[in-house]
Amino acid sequence: MAVSLSKGGNVSLSKEAPGLSAITIGLGWDPRATDGQQFDLDGTVFLLNAGGKVRSDSDFIFYNNKTSSDGSVTHAGDNTTGQGDGDDETVEVNLAGVPADVDKIAVCVTIHEADTRGQNFGQVSKAYIRIMNKAGGAEIARYDLSEDASTDTAMIFGEVYRNGADWKFRAVGQGYAGGLAPLARNFGVNV
Amino acid sequence: MLTFQTGQKARLADLGAGTTLSVTARVTGPAPEYDLILFGLDAQDRLSDDRYMIFYNQPRSPEGALNMQGGARGEKTFTADLNALPASVRRLSLAATVDGGATFAQIDHAEVTVHLDGAPVATYRVTGRDFQAQRAVMLLDVYHKDVWRAWAVGQGFNGGLDALVRHYGGEVADTPAARPPAPPTPAPAPTPSAAPAPAPGGLNFNRERPRAEPAPPAAPPTPPVSLQKITLDKPGQSARLSLRKGGGSDPIRVNLNWNRGGGFLRSSTDLDLGCMYVLNDGERGVIQALGNRFGSERLEPFILLDKDDRTGAATDGENLTIHRPDLIHTVLIFAFIYQGTSDFTRVGGRLTMKDPRGNEISVNLSNPDMRRTFCAIAQIENHGGEIQITKEERYFTGHKDCDEHYGFGFQWSAGSK
Repeated sequence: MAVSLSKGGNVSLSKEAPGLSAITIGLGWDPRATDGQQFDLDGTVFLLNAGGKVRSDSDFIFYNNKTSSDGSVTHAGDNTTGQGDGDDETVEVNLAGVPADVDKIAVCVTIHEADTRGQNFGQVSKAYIRIMNKAGGAEIARYDLSEDASTDTAMIFGEVYRNGADWKFRAVGQGYAGGLAPLARNFGVNV
Repeated sequence: MLTFQTGQKARLADLGAGTTLSVTARVTGPAPEYDLILFGLDAQDRLSDDRYMIFYNQPRSPEGALNMQGGARGEKTFTADLNALPASVRRLSLAATVDGGATFAQIDHAEVTVHLDGAPVATYRVTGRDFQAQRAVMLLDVYHKDVWRAWAVGQGFNGGLDALVRHYGGEVADTPAARPPAPPTPAPAPTPSAAPAPAPGGLNFNRERPRAEPAPPAAPPTPPVSLQKITLDKPGQSARLSLRKGGGSDPIRVNLNWNRGGGFLRSSTDLDLGCMYVLNDGERGVIQALGNRFGSERLEPFILLDKDDRTGAATDGENLTIHRPDLIHTVLIFAFIYQGTSDFTRVGGRLTMKDPRGNEISVNLSNPDMRRTFCAIAQIENHGGEIQITKEERYFTGHKDCDEHYGFGFQWSAGSK
């Protein structure tokens, strides 16, 4: 039974799924039902140290850099319309392979060309992030952002972080003005 | 007072106090009229009960929790008593639509003001720059998710109100498979206790028009609210109406008209309107001018063809009226070319059909080849107290060919006038 989190809530993935070694992070949203330009949402992952910054630019995992340098985090690719059942984007994390100096994995979503298209998260329906056990695919935790999404164009959906030997997941739901570049800069990426 | 940006959400309790919500809206622009509609949707965001579509034809919900009032210069005010709303209504969605070729890119602006217990608490304003070819726009939603919340939507549909209604689940049902005729034994009467579910779609947005002709004395008055109206454009589309909701014995009217055929050398064109029917008591037959089977208004089958217009000269064409839709099992409306042409389009053959709730089927007849001059236009079926009208528009070589497809099982022989 998956844990449903609200904004700010957290759950221990290691306790919910004993023996957990790898997770799949699923991101989803409804495709645009109305007429106009599609919502093209991009999932992005930042591997962060204890200070909340990337160790190098290669810790910024996105559509142009789909795998971390150590191979522990893989972005499965971009769905540009939200069409189709299930997750629109997935990121796989081999928890055992995450370098010890990575303390936190921040999972963000940005709206492609949000400003020119006049779009924001408040227009997107049924956005969520969920964490699954890669082995078997069972859902461990889920966070539906519907009511927390507003006029932002970039959002930190959630973060997977170390807590001693365990891994936990927090539902963040924090908007960030300006899109992907300022968000990346915020985490110490040179863009 | 909060000024909403598109996409912005807020809890009503954060805006102000009160449970009487009123939303005043106005669209200004070049179109002669912009219509404002408040949809009362269920928890799945579906218009599961069309009595909660509040607009010019229906300004009040059954229990009175939702009301619409007109104001100056096209302004409309929708009032919602949130405590009196049925629990099934969880979202109020305010939309604006425009008819004809106009779009929302052309508007000057649309402005919505939200009031709680009379005090203005939030506004939302969009302009033509926020839109492109949209002809229906969702402006503001007030919805219940743990608490009541408001959302500035600002998105819409190029397909206008049709598309909007479909978005809310008002899509018409797919074509049902052709239903076999009733068995020879009388079908059981509809069970009164089986209340039909509200029809999922087929909402009308045409203005109420005064009816040209009075209802027959036996029929109850036409319901004041004309909902469930839809133009069935495509073959296979269907619409349902509940006999209990709409007054079961209101007639369904069918009109066939065409242009007078041409001049000296060609004989004038004669198109014929008719139907094959099976009643719930097993009675079956054909109504058409051929063979002088005009039917009757007072006796079974309570289907009447008004005349045989031999030339298309009568301005009102030929009219077939099903006076007792509640007694029918299946009626198949057809038109065929008796003489004068072999091409419906050449004579502008056109058929319109209206039921008492305003469902409308119109067909511009256009046969695919010269052999097939018989058109099955629409099938009307009585499903235990609910009338389903399906547009067929299938072309056949004649009565027999058509009957074989639909399976009425008549014996056919050649006839002439």
